[in-house]
Amino acid sequence: MEFVNPEGLRLDGRRPMEMRQLRAEIGAVAKADGSAVFEMGNTKVIAAVYGPREVQNRSQQINDQALVRCEYSMANFSTGDRRRKPKGDRRSTEISLVIRQTMEACILTHLMPRSQIDIYVQVLQADGGTRSACINAATLALADAGIPMRDLVTSCSAGYLNSTPLLDLNYVEDSAGGPDVTVGILPKLDKVTLLQMDAKLPIDIFENVMQLAAEGCKAIANYIREVLLENTKQLEYRRGL
Amino acid sequence: MVGLSLGEKHFIQGGIDQNIRSDGRKRDTYRPISVETGVIPQANGSARIRIGATEVIASVKAELGRPDALQPDQGKVAIFVDCSPVAEPMFEGRGGEELSTELSVVLQHCLLGGKSGAGAGIDLSSLIVAEGKICWDLYIDGLVISSDGNLLDALGAAIKAALSNTGIPRVQVAAGALGDEQPEVDISDEEFLQFDTSGVPVIVTLTKVGRHYIVDATSEEESQMSSAVSVSINRKGHICGLSKRGSAGLDPSVISDMISVARHISEQLINKLDSEISAAEAGEDEM
Repeated sequence: MEFVNPEGLRLDGRRPMEMRQLRAEIGAVAKADGSAVFEMGNTKVIAAVYGPREVQNRSQQINDQALVRCEYSMANFSTGDRRRKPKGDRRSTEISLVIRQTMEACILTHLMPRSQIDIYVQVLQADGGTRSACINAATLALADAGIPMRDLVTSCSAGYLNSTPLLDLNYVEDSAGGPDVTVGILPKLDKVTLLQMDAKLPIDIFENVMQLAAEGCKAIANYIREVLLENTKQLEYRRGL
Repeated sequence: MVGLSLGEKHFIQGGIDQNIRSDGRKRDTYRPISVETGVIPQANGSARIRIGATEVIASVKAELGRPDALQPDQGKVAIFVDCSPVAEPMFEGRGGEELSTELSVVLQHCLLGGKSGAGAGIDLSSLIVAEGKICWDLYIDGLVISSDGNLLDALGAAIKAALSNTGIPRVQVAAGALGDEQPEVDISDEEFLQFDTSGVPVIVTLTKVGRHYIVDATSEEESQMSSAVSVSINRKGHICGLSKRGSAGLDPSVISDMISVARHISEQLINKLDSEISAAEAGEDEM
C-alpha cells in the first residue's frame, strides 16, 4: 500500500514531517485536582489527576517519596468497530505502566513523601498515538493540579513507511506493520524518558526517525507551554490582578 | 467519596427544609443543562450532557445483526454504562462496576420496556431490515466523565439526545434470497434515516433528604439521602419505568405524591431538553 504518494502527501493529506492538529483544554473534570483534554487529530483523551493525598492502601506507602499510580481505560465507543473489552487487559495494563513510569520520572516525588498521586486517563477517540496523547494529557493535568515537576514531559511517535520517516502516525499508518517509534522527552533538560519501538529498522535510519519524533515532542512542548500560559493568564484575570 | 462534617450536613439538611439549597436552588429546580451533539465522529449518534459539574457522554452505534427467533419483527437495543475513574478515583479498576451495572439496568428498564419490547421508548420494529433475517442492533454506550450527583437523569438525557442525533444508513436488501439464506445487503453511504425519538422518555430522580424530596441532587446532597425514586416519563405524561434506591422505606402515599411531582417536572425537563437538542444540532450543522 502507498502511504506517501508521489507528490509527497500522506493518506490524510499531511506532509511526512507534519503533525496532526493539536488541541488542548485545561479543567475538563470539575471535581479533579487537575484535568485536561488533549487531542491529536482524531485521537482524543481526557486525563484527571487526584492528589497529592493520603495513601489509600497503607501497605503501598513509601516513606521518602510519593506513590504515583496510573490507570488507562478506553471507552467502548473509542474505536471504529465497537468492542466491549474487559477492564485491565494486557494492553491497557502495559500502557498504564508506561505512562506511570514516564510521569514518575518527571514528578518531584521526594517533595511529597507518604502521599499518593493518581493519574487516570480515558481514551474517548482512538486514531493512533493514544500512548503519546495520554502522556501529553497527563502532563497538562499534572501541571493543572500544581504538582511539582522537573519539566513538562511530552511524547510523540514517528514511523518509517515507503522509505520515508513519518511523524505522528495515525491508525491506518500505525497498523501498516512498519516500525513505530514512540519517544517521550523532557524538552528543557533534553533527556529521553520513554523510548519504545516495534518492528525492525537499520540503526542509521532509526536515529533519523527518533530525531524526528524528538522534534515532534519539542513542538508539542511549545504548544503545551502556550496553553498553560494562556490558562494562567485567565486565572490571573479572574482573580482581578 | 464525600466527606462531610456535622456542620455541613446540618447546613445541607437545613437548606433543603427551608427550600433554599447550598447552591441557591429551590427543591424543584435543575442545575443548568447544556447539550452538545455529534461529539464522537465514529459513532452513528452521540451527545454530551452537562448538568452542573456532572458530565456524561452517550454514543449510539448500529450494527447489522440477526433478530431474535422469538421476536423476528424487532431489532435489538442494548445499553451499557461505564464509569470512568477520571470522574471519581473510587471507580478505579473494578470499583465502578457495581454502579455501572446498576445504572445500565435501571436505564434498560426505563427506556427499553419489558422483554417483549412493549412500552419501549424506541420503536423496535423500525429497526428491522428483513423480517426474521436482518435487523439493526443498537449499542448504546454511556460514559461518566465527571460525577457530581444525578448520574441517572444525565445519562437518560444524554441517551435521548444521542438517539435524536443518530442516523442509520438506508439499507437495500437484494431480492432473491430463498429460505434460510441470508440475503445480500447494500448499505448506503449517503442516505440516513432518522429515528422518531418523540417517544423516548426522560428520567426524573427525586431524592429524599430528611422530610423533603429534591430534584437533581449534587453528590453532597446524595450522600445525605434516605432514598431516591427515579421515574421515567414520556412526552404524553405516561410513566415508562420506575425504580427506587436507598435503604429507607417510603410510605405509598409519599411515592404517589413523588410521581405526580416528577410528572410535573418532566414536562419542563422535556421542553428544556428539546430546545437544547435542537439548538445543539443547529450549531453542529453550521460548523
